[in-house]
Amino acid sequence: MILAVTPLAAAAVLLVTAGLIRATLDPARARRRATQGATLTAALTILVAVVSGFLTGRGHGVLLDGGTEGALTLTLLPAGLLSTTNAAIGIAGLLACALAPLASHPPRTLRRMLLVLAVAHVFVATTEPWILAALWTLSAALAWRELRATADHRATARVFGLHHAVSTACLVLGAALVATGHGGWAIPLLLAAIAIREAIVPVHGWFPTFVERAPLGMVVAFAAPQLGVYAHLELFTAGLPIATAHGVAVFGAVTAVLAGALGTVQTDARRALAWLMMSQSGLVAFGLENSEPAGQIGALVTWQVLAVATSGFAMTLAALEARRGTLSLHGPGGSFARTPRMAVAFLILGFASVGLPGTLGFIAEDLLVQGSVEEYPLQAFALIIATALNGITVMRCFFALFSGSRNHVGEPDLVGRERVALTLAIAALVFTGLWPQALLALHETGAAVLSTGSH
Amino acid sequence: MTIDLLEILLAGLVAVPGLACAVLALPAWFGHRFRESTIVSIIGSAFAVTTLSAAVLVVVLLVRGETEIGAHLGEWFAFGHDRFALVLLGDRLSLPFALFSAALVGVIAAFSRRYMHQEVGFYRFYLLLCLFGLGVEIVVLAGSLDLIFLGWELVGLTSALLVAFFHERPKPVEHGLRAFLTYRVCDVGLLGAAAWLHHEVGTAQMIEGDALAPWDGLPVPSDALATAVVGLLLLWATMGKSAQVPLSGWLPRAMEGPTPSSAIFYGAISIHLGPYLLLRAAPILDASPLTAWMVVAVGAATALHANFVGRVQTDIKSVLSYASMTQVGLIFVEIGLGLRYIALAHIVGHAALRSLEILRSPNLLHDHQHLEKAIGSTLPRTGLHLEWLVPKRLQPWLYRHALERGAFDALLRDGVVGNWTRVLRGVDRIDRAWTRRLGGPSAEPPVAPPAPKEVTR
Repeated sequence: MILAVTPLAAAAVLLVTAGLIRATLDPARARRRATQGATLTAALTILVAVVSGFLTGRGHGVLLDGGTEGALTLTLLPAGLLSTTNAAIGIAGLLACALAPLASHPPRTLRRMLLVLAVAHVFVATTEPWILAALWTLSAALAWRELRATADHRATARVFGLHHAVSTACLVLGAALVATGHGGWAIPLLLAAIAIREAIVPVHGWFPTFVERAPLGMVVAFAAPQLGVYAHLELFTAGLPIATAHGVAVFGAVTAVLAGALGTVQTDARRALAWLMMSQSGLVAFGLENSEPAGQIGALVTWQVLAVATSGFAMTLAALEARRGTLSLHGPGGSFARTPRMAVAFLILGFASVGLPGTLGFIAEDLLVQGSVEEYPLQAFALIIATALNGITVMRCFFALFSGSRNHVGEPDLVGRERVALTLAIAALVFTGLWPQALLALHETGAAVLSTGSH
Repeated sequence: MTIDLLEILLAGLVAVPGLACAVLALPAWFGHRFRESTIVSIIGSAFAVTTLSAAVLVVVLLVRGETEIGAHLGEWFAFGHDRFALVLLGDRLSLPFALFSAALVGVIAAFSRRYMHQEVGFYRFYLLLCLFGLGVEIVVLAGSLDLIFLGWELVGLTSALLVAFFHERPKPVEHGLRAFLTYRVCDVGLLGAAAWLHHEVGTAQMIEGDALAPWDGLPVPSDALATAVVGLLLLWATMGKSAQVPLSGWLPRAMEGPTPSSAIFYGAISIHLGPYLLLRAAPILDASPLTAWMVVAVGAATALHANFVGRVQTDIKSVLSYASMTQVGLIFVEIGLGLRYIALAHIVGHAALRSLEILRSPNLLHDHQHLEKAIGSTLPRTGLHLEWLVPKRLQPWLYRHALERGAFDALLRDGVVGNWTRVLRGVDRIDRAWTRRLGGPSAEPPVAPPAPKEVTR
């Protein structure tokens, strides 16, 4: 069994913070503590990733080699392509806590968010199917409990519960089959479980309503780490049969384009966000089925870009919602001049998630397109269309929310904690976007392994 | 002077504007705002240095009798077979463009100091202008289609944001979104062409042409069909950026932005990036007659359409935007017919004249009266030849066609975007109904109207 220590430490920090919040009734105090815990986690994961990966080139760093198969092996970080995943989850967690509005994020919600984030950190720390299945279940149960706890969200909880009960059952059964050496039989079950979790068309029904109704901090904590991607990597180590892989790629491409198109016609900002996130999930699902290393790595970099950029985009939306109320896209209804930093962060993070030059999103887009075109020329074209549609959604949201009106309802610009969290997210995206090779070098080994494993 | 120094100068054409962007953007994010004069000095100095560097490169190449210089700045990133090389190319096509663009950005920066003085968005205007200048330098000096795409995206984004510069009024915002939508839909062509070139040829880097080729160009796929596909995708990309029919409706609306940005974007540089890309794609046009004739057809249709429509416009900026469109349409025709040097001269001449006209457009009445005083009578009517050339029976139809801007806008808005929106909203309704069925009626909230609430954070 392989265990990565840094994610475990990150999870421990989050669990302790969740424990501290348990006794806190004051929402502002709870958010302050949650933000402190998330900051510590983000700092730890970023520091270890930078020092171990970028500066010393040690990669994941084996601390204790078990030697034989099945013996416990301790590493500093998850191997190769996953060594920066925890940092991405750490930043997403910080964004979720620091920009969480008090009205929609009482201490109970913050505690559950921290628990979901802790589960996500541990999830990428291990490769054991049975642990993955247990954490998968726990994560879904925590989000479901959050929805159940609010009377307004009961119906959403039903839809969520229905989908995730099926997803969990499929994953548990699939993981059991994998653990007992019946990997072939497990494939359809695992694919169904992952497709539901990643909101791939046509089993996406829970996702738009979840994003519309749930506190956005919980949406980010649950959806941004994209546990389905990691489950895909770890549970299909032998790779998918070619026909199946092509089928999955088609579903991913259809999701990317359809969700991208639907995002452009929404009149509610949260629902537009939901389709945007789904479209990007589709891109990742599509890219993972590439046999070209560049395509695979494009999908994985997209995964990490989404964890940071889309989380920032979503939480900026949450912060704006807290200031203005329900955000409609019926027409231009805001003023850029009142909240310039918030508008700029919204624009940069939104476009970073769809390939803004100078950010990691551009690198991800390029790798995904160039890596896919050899194997899936038509789907690669669909992917380009999906990216264009997502860009239209982002710009439409920006213009609708930050322009077209002189009205000022007294909304303040970003406050200190919000600015720090957003600055970190933007800096991470720009730094890795301008100097991407260090990040890609970390991933190289992992992608090679993935490549030889698949097909 | 060693060749290394020339490479540094070439790289500086991109690096200096990039540095100026960073110098302006970073302090602004952290709450520090420069004074107006400092902002203008930063951008003015950056583009003066850029202009000077480009001029030195032109002179050195002329003196040495060389046709090009390349700066290989290494690989930005590489993974597997995919390599993104940072190659800049200074040749007899790119250097005049780079020199002219940098000079014009500098001139516009100086001009706007008074024009935009005390404007609320002064800082934003200059930052976007600087980003635009950076994007243009990247596009014209790029040694590969991948790098062109990077600059192309920057130009599109800054263009849309500047159209919506007066963001508190709904119309500029609506027009900015329209321009961005057109750009984004057409950018699919550029990225698609780059991907297809990688698929067919293995690279999207400029290559040296045969002895008759005036400058380096994009590689040509061996397969005729693939060549046509790449060529048509590139044409699609240029149709959006250069406002060719039927996608031209955004251009007159884009004049909602500040006059100096309209001058540089839609009179001078941005609108000519389409022809620039086609000049770089000359080998593909030579290898694919279908593409070349399509370029001619699109250009001719645009020139005719814009000429007629421009004659019935009642505001000067719309007249000038259609005049720009007419000239760019003619440049497309020249490129499609293989008259590349003529096209290059036409671009530079037109850009200089049109940007001057747009910059002077606020003085229209003054200029008009000045001219009338000078000639001692009212100005003569123009376009009489059309009354003579066009049959009487056709004239009312043509007038109506011009008034309705060829009905292209209505066709796109209602026929294409409207229908697609209806279909997609239908799909969305089905999705909502499915969710309601699963979770009960309250699983899907009704579409909420905008409702400001109390401020709670």
